[in-house]
Amino acid sequence: MTEEPTKPPFDEAEYRRRQRSRANLMAWLLGALAILFFLITIAKMQIFQ
Amino acid sequence: MAQSLTHGEMTLPADWRDLFALTKPRVMSLVVFTALCGLLAAPVSVSPVLGFASILAIALGAGASGALNQWYEAGLDAKMKRTANRPLPAGRLDPQTALQFGVGLAAFSLFLMLFASNWQATLLLAASILFYVFVYTMWLKPRTPQNIVIGGAAGAFPPLIGWVAATGSVAPLPVLLFLLIFLWTPPHFWALALFVRSDYAAAGIPMMPVVAGERATRRQVLLYAIIMAGAAIAPWPLGYTGALYGWTSAILSALFVLLSLRVGTRQSAEGDLMLPEKRLFAFSIAYLFILFGAVVADRWVLA
Repeated sequence: MTEEPTKPPFDEAEYRRRQRSRANLMAWLLGALAILFFLITIAKMQIFQ
Repeated sequence: MAQSLTHGEMTLPADWRDLFALTKPRVMSLVVFTALCGLLAAPVSVSPVLGFASILAIALGAGASGALNQWYEAGLDAKMKRTANRPLPAGRLDPQTALQFGVGLAAFSLFLMLFASNWQATLLLAASILFYVFVYTMWLKPRTPQNIVIGGAAGAFPPLIGWVAATGSVAPLPVLLFLLIFLWTPPHFWALALFVRSDYAAAGIPMMPVVAGERATRRQVLLYAIIMAGAAIAPWPLGYTGALYGWTSAILSALFVLLSLRVGTRQSAEGDLMLPEKRLFAFSIAYLFILFGAVVADRWVLA
């Protein structure tokens, strides 16, 4: 008779930690990109002036 | 973003550190540096913001290529000691996430390049990503020991893209810099392949030492080093750089050839530590950094 492999218990704290760290990183990245795109637009406007 | 790692009934989201590792950050540092040198060596003044965005686009493109390479080679990576702990073979990331991340990053890098610079640089960046993924990773690497020679073109694109992002056109100097990296790649990678030969053999990758043997590889390392030295010094007599770059490239290329001569004329014994090969591999990285730094110093300091 073969036993079914036991699944590891779900670690909600780890799940939430990863979700939080990724959400934080995405927020910083999106903020940085918004600033970068704004600066690129200003730089291009100066070139074409 | 997609999920990874099954953990009981739920799945854990991929850790951002694993996604970052997928971009091969160490390779990216050389790409960023050579691209920056290509951009700074161009005879035009570039807005710092547009220059930064262009280099960021090149870095993201290189990261996307690395991610797609690791996605495709996860099975091979699992067989090699050097790569077994990467996120995919180690099971910390699922392939679907890696594929989505790679394709998304590639698309974003092209969009950013087009927005920040010009369509010529965007086209070159797209060509370099497609070449690395389809021609090198999928076609050449598993089939021929010349994989590194032709595939080296993918790694040679960054200074050319940097220059084109600044000027909008191709010129002889960035083409010579492309040629320098193209010819530098075989001795650099074959020096590595000589001391991790068993790894490549275990994975069934037809690297030169595995297919043609150690002696033939050593001869080719020396041969390519000599041709590379010629290409490295060429910008000076051709008048595209000054004496600072000329002397730097002459001295360092002579050292490169000397180290290659040591590798090219020896044969490893049982339990060999492969020190000359490791020395050449380490020196080859410093060589490229210093040479590209000299191209910029030559233009900015002596201009």
